[in-house]
Amino acid sequence: MNKTLCFAKRNLIEISRDALSYIFCIAFPIVMLVVMTLVNESIPKEANMTIFRIDSLSGGIGVFGQTFVMLFTAMAVSRDRSGSFLIRMFASPMKSSNFTNGYILPMLLVAVVQWLVSFAAAVVVAKVVDYDVKPQGLLLATVVLIPSAILFIAIGLILGTLFNQNAAPGLCSVIISLGSFMGGIWFDVESSGGVLYKICKCMPFIYCTKSARAAIHLDFGTEAFLIPLLVVTSAAVVLTIIAAAVFNTKMKADLS
Amino acid sequence: MKNETDAIQIDAIKTSNLTKRYGQKTAVDQLNLTVREGELFALLGVNGAGKTTTIRMLSCLSTPTEGKAEIYGFDVVQQKDEVKRRVGISTQDTAVAENLTVEENLRFMAGIYADERTAKGKEGVNQKVERILEIFHLGEVRRKIAKTLSGGWKRKLSIAMAIIGDPKVLYLDEPTLGLDVLARRELWKEIEALKDDMTIILTTHYMEEAEALADRIAIMIDGKIVCHGTLAQLEEMTGEKGLEKVFISVAEGKGGNHE
Ligand SMILES: Nc1ncnc2c1ncn2[C@@H]1O[C@H](COP(=O)(O)OP(=O)(O)O)[C@@H](O)[C@H]1O
Ligand SMILES: [Mg+2]
Repeated sequence: MNKTLCFAKRNLIEISRDALSYIFCIAFPIVMLVVMTLVNESIPKEANMTIFRIDSLSGGIGVFGQTFVMLFTAMAVSRDRSGSFLIRMFASPMKSSNFTNGYILPMLLVAVVQWLVSFAAAVVVAKVVDYDVKPQGLLLATVVLIPSAILFIAIGLILGTLFNQNAAPGLCSVIISLGSFMGGIWFDVESSGGVLYKICKCMPFIYCTKSARAAIHLDFGTEAFLIPLLVVTSAAVVLTIIAAAVFNTKMKADLS
Repeated sequence: MKNETDAIQIDAIKTSNLTKRYGQKTAVDQLNLTVREGELFALLGVNGAGKTTTIRMLSCLSTPTEGKAEIYGFDVVQQKDEVKRRVGISTQDTAVAENLTVEENLRFMAGIYADERTAKGKEGVNQKVERILEIFHLGEVRRKIAKTLSGGWKRKLSIAMAIIGDPKVLYLDEPTLGLDVLARRELWKEIEALKDDMTIILTTHYMEEAEALADRIAIMIDGKIVCHGTLAQLEEMTGEKGLEKVFISVAEGKGGNHE
């Protein structure tokens, strides 16, 4: 087994023994879906608000859940960096890329499992409220959400590497708030227009939700799907490269 | 201090003027040290003497400020990859993956070193884990989560993890620190059993530990090795009997034969 997979497996075992994983991965998406659906049910039809309708909502929650995977990544990395185990591993033949990829892989798995749970919950909720949501769309979103997951994991890796166990989660919660606000998860940024929308368009978050929602609607338009997906994928690539560079730099500094 | 078998022996570790400074503080000062293959070499010194800093430089965890060090001829700065695959380390603050079981920790380490070409590199991970569990009598705790282990067990696991990659050189940084008398004795036996297979540098501030285990002993004070040799040689040098007396004599500068 290669070194990256060994380290990934170790991280996966650590995650599986942490109760928070189950709260984030399973309980959280279900609770959010149910609560927001109840909110949606109490909004009068005339308001013509679709953001909490199960099709839009599930896409938003898919991305919102990933912001918690980011927090989770930052916590895991900063916890490792504060202990002696990681330093000891620096004396092993492991390379910097073995460490970073070994953190990213299991977190990606967590993100996918989290989405599959939301997916299942969305199908059930849709049945209950009698709204016709396309399962193929939700299935497609599983793949479409992967670049977005990598993007958030990379941010978590960067924050966990640069900041300690106390600061990293705090900074993550700032990004969770900003991301869900600017990502249009809880309100329709696009139709709000103006300066706010302009700012949001400069951040990657809105494209995460747009591409996920388009996938769920099986809408493959350039404007709705292709461009957002391309933006998210590019941002994910850039942030992953930055995360790897930051980790490598920190590792060298630790060994000075 | 050469003996007649010298000619056929290989130098496992060789340092020349190895130095580490932190700002104004010189933690390790012009260390010249040669450890022969198969030797168990003890670095004896009080807290702050520079033992850990030395070990860190010899295992690529810290870059020397000056001087150089070689492990089997490979430079610790220029040839890190070669050094790392030959070296195992049990650090002073026991470093294990806390949420993994004993067995998972060993499997993890065995996997990390699996594709390195070492003596028993062809041995499968399963066999390797079983062999190591046996050497350290870790069978009874194999399914225990590391963070629930007592200090003694944890230290054993840490050492077991250090040797699972079949290192040629093993560093044990204060392996019995904080252990009770019985756990210490037991660990001594296990370290004793490793002596045949690898070169070991052991750091300690316990005189009796160096006396019991070491082929040669170096006394380190304020970053310097003030004298080294077999116990008999050190006794002869200082005219004292027993390592404790030798140490005190050297530390007080009475018998400091700065060879
Ligand atoms: N990272 C560091 N920064 C500054 N000083 C250090 C650092 N590491 C060790 N030292 C200093 O170097 C000296 C030797 O420390 P150390 O090698 O840990 O000694 P020992 O292991 O023999 O107890 C001590 O005075 C210690 O305070
Ligand atoms: Mg020390």
